[in-house]
Amino acid sequence: MSGEILRVDNLWKSYSETPVLRGVSFEVLRGEVKVIMGPSGSGKSTLLRCINLLVRPDKGRISLEGKEVFPKPYDSIHRIRQKIGFVFQSYNLFLHMTVLDNVRVGLIKVKKLSKEEATKRAMEALRIVGIGPELWNKYPAQLSGGQQQRVAIARAIAMEPTIMLMDEPTSALDPELVGEVLNVIRDLAKQKMTMLIVTHELDFALEVADEIMVLDGGKIVERGKPSEILNNPKHPRTRRFIERLRRRVEHGHR
Amino acid sequence: MGIVSAFELLAKYHSIFLLGLRNTLILTATAFSIGFALGITIAVLREFGPKPIRHLLAAYVEIIRGTPMLLQLFIVYYALPAIGIVLPPIAAAILGMGLNSGAYQSEYYRAAIRAIPRGQYEAALSLGMTTRQLIEVLAIPMAVRIAFPSMVNELVYLLKYSSIAYFLTVIELTYAGKIVGAETFQYLEVYTIIAIIYFALSMAIVRFCKFVESRIRVPGLGAPEATRGLI
Repeated sequence: MSGEILRVDNLWKSYSETPVLRGVSFEVLRGEVKVIMGPSGSGKSTLLRCINLLVRPDKGRISLEGKEVFPKPYDSIHRIRQKIGFVFQSYNLFLHMTVLDNVRVGLIKVKKLSKEEATKRAMEALRIVGIGPELWNKYPAQLSGGQQQRVAIARAIAMEPTIMLMDEPTSALDPELVGEVLNVIRDLAKQKMTMLIVTHELDFALEVADEIMVLDGGKIVERGKPSEILNNPKHPRTRRFIERLRRRVEHGHR
Repeated sequence: MGIVSAFELLAKYHSIFLLGLRNTLILTATAFSIGFALGITIAVLREFGPKPIRHLLAAYVEIIRGTPMLLQLFIVYYALPAIGIVLPPIAAAILGMGLNSGAYQSEYYRAAIRAIPRGQYEAALSLGMTTRQLIEVLAIPMAVRIAFPSMVNELVYLLKYSSIAYFLTVIELTYAGKIVGAETFQYLEVYTIIAIIYFALSMAIVRFCKFVESRIRVPGLGAPEATRGLI
């Protein structure tokens, strides 16, 4: 099934006079993986947060599956957010809940599933991200960063969202833990999960992205096939940014 | 004077000591519970409620904190009858102490709600939770854990300050001591006994709360965890 899942039109956002997004437009089709790259402060996080309305845009238009989300939401904001999975850079698992509760709380409280049904679905989601039963009763602080992020992904996919937004899902991780999280996201891409991912992982982007968009100074300065963007960037700022990323990888730190 | 006469006093006047002890425990437990319910409600409404209610509750908290608890008890017991509300002494004391404690407790829970990391709220919202769901699932359970040491403090404080119910003629521990003292003139023994009872009770409360805290504690949340092995 094809079709447009997300459309963002001429989106603007300023924080007290400082423009962060200056007319961003793009679309994500069903089953597509789009990657957003760009230097820090380019507006990547703000863009993702605008899409699920954690941040209110100043102007522009956002629609989900053809229905307007901003400025005139077709439904209540919390019901719209149920359709948008969000994965944070710092995981943001609920600290006072076990792994299993983290994944099923949304199903029970928000989706109003029975506890049995929610537990079943939560276990399924946890299996997908490779979190075994021995970890289900642990608290977030007892897990590694990679495990926490995989639980966070499970929490999001258990809600069966139409699209997943990921805000630098591996940036807070120790280098040796990045792989396990990227593998999970790779699997989701193979399952044709629609995703919009902010990441600086070049090889990963080259492999999974249908398109890379480069954000700089609140604008998309370049977009295209991953191989084009990464191997033959047109825009001088893109070129410099990609070179910097490559150097960092060669020197072994992220 | 001496230990022997102290025990004799206890034996002879045990029924009045027990009455005092009973009333002190009732005052403390009920006032704390009212204060807990009121405190959570005020904190949640001041953080998540509509603006006029926030201002109204802020004023309430300031008025309670800005006037002596004894005066508040006097108002409940001696002044309210003027507008037709007549309460028995112990009910007036419980109500007054509960209203007072609620104001103080609300500040503990409010600070705790604010101490919950922003990312926790973002995660709850991004799952599609409404404000009401977020309060129930995240804000209250986490705030209570964060505020727990302050709650223990408040409970021990109430135990000792329940003695001012004395001024509303409630026969609680201190009043019971006064009665026995007035009859026997053995004030030293009587007040030593009373002091020991208060001290033992507050130690027991602290012990019990430590146990409760260990049961509700969550790894990575709260002070004992944060500084363990560091200092």
